[in-house]
Amino acid sequence: MVAAEQVLDVEGHPCVVVDRAAMEYRVVTTDSEAVAQERRDTSFMSRLGRRPNTVTVRALYELSLVVERGESVGIIGRNGSGKSTLMKLISGQVRPSSGAVFASSTPIMLGVNAALMPDLSGHQNVVLGCLAMGMSRQEIDQKFASIVELCGLEDSIYLPMKSYSSGMASRLRFAIAASIDPEILLVDEALNTGDAQFGDRSKRRMDQLREQAGCVFLVSHSLDTITKMCTRVIWLDKGHLIMDGDPAETVRAYQDFTGQLAKGNNLSAATIRDEARANLQMTEVLARSKMRRSRA
Amino acid sequence: MSAKKALLPEPAVVQPLAVDMRRLTRVGARPGFLDYLVQLWDFREFIYYDARARVQSGTRRDRLGSAWLLLNPIFNGLTYYVIFGLLLQTSGGIENYVGYLVIGIFIFQGTSGAITSGARSIHSNKSVVQAFNFPRATLPIGLNIREMMANVPLILAMLLIIVLIPPVEKITWLWVLIIPALLLQALFNLGVGLILARIISRVHDATHLLPFFMRAWMYGSAIFYSYERFVTHPELLAVLKMNPLFNVIDILRNCILYAQPPTWQSWATLAVWALGALLVGLVFFWQGEESYGRG
Repeated sequence: MVAAEQVLDVEGHPCVVVDRAAMEYRVVTTDSEAVAQERRDTSFMSRLGRRPNTVTVRALYELSLVVERGESVGIIGRNGSGKSTLMKLISGQVRPSSGAVFASSTPIMLGVNAALMPDLSGHQNVVLGCLAMGMSRQEIDQKFASIVELCGLEDSIYLPMKSYSSGMASRLRFAIAASIDPEILLVDEALNTGDAQFGDRSKRRMDQLREQAGCVFLVSHSLDTITKMCTRVIWLDKGHLIMDGDPAETVRAYQDFTGQLAKGNNLSAATIRDEARANLQMTEVLARSKMRRSRA
Repeated sequence: MSAKKALLPEPAVVQPLAVDMRRLTRVGARPGFLDYLVQLWDFREFIYYDARARVQSGTRRDRLGSAWLLLNPIFNGLTYYVIFGLLLQTSGGIENYVGYLVIGIFIFQGTSGAITSGARSIHSNKSVVQAFNFPRATLPIGLNIREMMANVPLILAMLLIIVLIPPVEKITWLWVLIIPALLLQALFNLGVGLILARIISRVHDATHLLPFFMRAWMYGSAIFYSYERFVTHPELLAVLKMNPLFNVIDILRNCILYAQPPTWQSWATLAVWALGALLVGLVFFWQGEESYGRG
């Protein structure tokens, strides 16, 4: 690895700084080979405190990013490449196992995975969800009509959530999360739910939010959406950062890569990926005040 | 794994970026303890709404609805009355055994319900925890408030049973003391619930131990017998009387059944337990604040 000679100054105050964040999980496995390998690698004492038959999975390797106001960052990669893990780290839902994530305000994750309370009615879930995001009752009362309109549930909003279809439930979740105007917005595949009518409405609301937000992170399997909406694209593969740059360029490289994989040319796919990685310009975060001190 | 890692080439260059971090805060960072308390206060509407919505939806699945809140301790009381009062005769020497038993059971069930649901509050609301960033202690607090709200009709029913079933007790001014005693009990429940909630979110195995622990506690709290009848050793008796739950029950029995002002020792023991548990619980729970969202 070559360190750049010149330190670049980032002007102003960035929205999000990811500083050498990495994530690893311990999960239960049924792969006896992996367990045996783990047993050979670790001492008996260090295994005592852990649950049996678990292995360490590295979801994300050390990664640093500086995202400034006005940037829309798309994150692409195959399944299991660490996209959602990175989003969880940025939203603060999960703390990285090493490193840290800094932000100028609380990021809001706009996802469809936010399960609510099935026994309560849609109406009660709206109020609870909004209160949980820190809104006041007055604000909620003002926004309630627009939330109901956005999710299109009409009178079903007063029925318990367990009676909803999965599409209805995810529409409600989206509408709740979209009711707040966040500075930092994280979107995880939220656009792909619901019928055509809802798709239209949610897209309009998304566009609105994106225009108001300071910065946006977008995870989507639709490369079209990514190219259209983002000003910067990050490609992750198996937890490693492969590319970070211009949307068209990154998406093209990624498309070449998946195209080769689909044809079964694993070697040429790996070559494309390795080439992209070899040209990667990685970031290292230096706190400005700290740096001055160390130079003086 | 290591072979694959070696295949991936090193990046071309590592560019250091100097960033002004002054206006940035670490996401999901746990605030200072006092700030945390302020945050909890700011989320009071959430806590209250959460508690109220849960009271309403709690028993909706059953045909008899909220009546089960009341029927449950009554059936329990009948069972204990038959087994301990009639068959085993543990009632020996206790004046107004029915009232004695009813107070013990209703109060104990209040605590065991509150502690159990408080302890599971984080685990059973994981989806809400993962969806939103809010101070997590609001969940156990909300559940305890819900238990308190659900308890009000129970306490009234308890008093009604005591007034109606002979030997009939007279209502005295001492009955007012029920309120501070129950409040201290609620604070104690919350404190223990907070401690257990963090333990269970980390080591889920603890949920399996909880019912045994509660049962042992119930048999040790002089609900259907009196300590004096079975314990002759004075030191052991003193230790048993440190039990916070026994003190709540004892205060209520003295006020309601025997028209005797409770001793200051009972109040002091109970207050120390309640405030101590609450403080320890809040600090202990706050220390784990960043760990509850983990999958």
